[in-house]
Amino acid sequence: MDGYARKNLRRKRAVMLSLGLLTALLCVASLFIGSSHMSVADGVAALLKRSTAANNRIIWNIRVPRILAAMIAGAGLSVSGLIMQTVMNNAMASPSTLGVSNAAVFGANVSIIAFAGGFLSTGNNLKNYAVGANPYATGVMAFAFSMLSILLILGLCRVRAFSPNVVVLAGIAVGAVWTAATTLLQFYATDVGISAAVIWNFGDLGRATYRTDWIMLAVVTFGIAVFSLLAWRYNALLSGEAAAAAMGVNVELLRFVSLLLASMITAVCVSFLGVIGFVGIICPHVTKRLLGQDHRVALPVSALCGSLLLLAADDLSRSLGNGSALPVGAITSLLGAPFFVAVIFSGRENRPC
Amino acid sequence: MLSVENLSFRYRRRGPMVLDGIDLELNGGEIGILLGRNGSGKTTLFRNILGICTPSGGAIRFGGEDFIRLPRREKARRVAYVPQDIRFGALSVYDSVLLGRVAYFGYRASRADHAVVERILAEMRLEACARRNVEELSGGERQKVAIARAMAQEPRLMIFDEPTGNLDIANEQQVLEEARKLARSKGIAILSALHDLNQAMAFGDRFFFIKAGKIRYAGGRDCFTPEVIKDIFDADIKIVEIGNQSIILGGISQ
Repeated sequence: MDGYARKNLRRKRAVMLSLGLLTALLCVASLFIGSSHMSVADGVAALLKRSTAANNRIIWNIRVPRILAAMIAGAGLSVSGLIMQTVMNNAMASPSTLGVSNAAVFGANVSIIAFAGGFLSTGNNLKNYAVGANPYATGVMAFAFSMLSILLILGLCRVRAFSPNVVVLAGIAVGAVWTAATTLLQFYATDVGISAAVIWNFGDLGRATYRTDWIMLAVVTFGIAVFSLLAWRYNALLSGEAAAAAMGVNVELLRFVSLLLASMITAVCVSFLGVIGFVGIICPHVTKRLLGQDHRVALPVSALCGSLLLLAADDLSRSLGNGSALPVGAITSLLGAPFFVAVIFSGRENRPC
Repeated sequence: MLSVENLSFRYRRRGPMVLDGIDLELNGGEIGILLGRNGSGKTTLFRNILGICTPSGGAIRFGGEDFIRLPRREKARRVAYVPQDIRFGALSVYDSVLLGRVAYFGYRASRADHAVVERILAEMRLEACARRNVEELSGGERQKVAIARAMAQEPRLMIFDEPTGNLDIANEQQVLEEARKLARSKGIAILSALHDLNQAMAFGDRFFFIKAGKIRYAGGRDCFTPEVIKDIFDADIKIVEIGNQSIILGGISQ
């Protein structure tokens, strides 16, 4: 390792370390935040499984899987956003650029409205919507439709060249179809069906279980590992498509693999948790402002940023909800929209010089 | 060393020929200049020689080796590109030059790659700003970094697309001098597009005049005649001799 790179790396390590520490701290603090007004002492006892059965259950079956979900999904969505922005060369690209979220919403709506949350149940009572005969039916349907959407768009783009504009436009078009289909579906739904469907659309980390956490962890880890291997190619792509190709990067293949993986990560997170907006846009932009776009650093940092933001938003949602957690998707978007506007208006790239 | 034989290219089957029977030869250490109007096929020819576009017909050879069939990374080890609009994202000068090694290391830079980068930074006197962000540099310095990046690919041919397009006179001179020095000392061939005819004459060894996808004239400085320029650029010029230097004056009405 040479002298120049070392000094540069020291600052980056410092930022990474502090973000990591912050995430760890918040993660521990989140264990003791919630609607049950459990005291910290009780919480610690429950962590050691030495408190009351109810408290043990709150910590181990509700809070821990929820915190894990926040960290995993936050990291996954944020990294997907970063990669989307790089391969599309578009600061506004997000994990859902390929219409993933719209498709997931449609899938979940089909499951909830047409099949009442589970394939076996036909009843119209709320309990069925909340529990369903098969708790995974909605998630599986959401995932199936988002994969369908991804493959459709990637297939469409394979026909034409893989130029970013074509991909973005195809994403918009296909996303609009899913949204329209959802609207039609909701038009014919019962009141209860609609409210259940709308509630699903709010992202909610409370849906996470250990099993969904493990699945998300596997997909997100795999994705981040592949992205990290390709970090130098993403860096090459920052110099433009032709320049990257001249440096030996197979741009089309890189774009295909990246879009597929980023969309899959998003599909898994959205299917299990519902729509969580703007994490995938805010965090990559914060990362780029903090440390630049070098993907060797930006990947881990944006993952940490994502975890941190979703954890914080979830803590906020659980402490503001006065007994019940507010939908975390709404909180991230509330934070996200103003930030997004700020990014648009402060961007150096938008000034003529 | 580089030989392009009867190269043709079209974007779509049965579409119009963008390049039509291009023949071009260049030796190591030689500077070839491609001259032609906008849309005459200069950039398309570059993209073909870089391996970004696949030719519809003809051959590109490096010392007899069939270039078109090489894998992309092998191509990048033979031909490097200095584009006109130079962007690096927000990388440091060091990392930007290291980018040129991607064709060699793929995933993770080795000690040898770092050694190459340090050598090139030293050769091009860029060590002082190695840690600086490329975005903070001036146009001329940035162009130098782009050349350094291309050098890191250890190519046998470097392609310059309007290298002086965004530079002031002083930087223009510097960049061209730098490029010429590299060509001569390392035996690297350079193929460059240049708009300024006088600059082209001063910088190049061989000249290729391209019009509508065909090379109409090729040769040394004696190619620059009012007739050739009229044919290629549809512009009237006058050539005056000052000392032993020919200077092209444009915008002359006859």
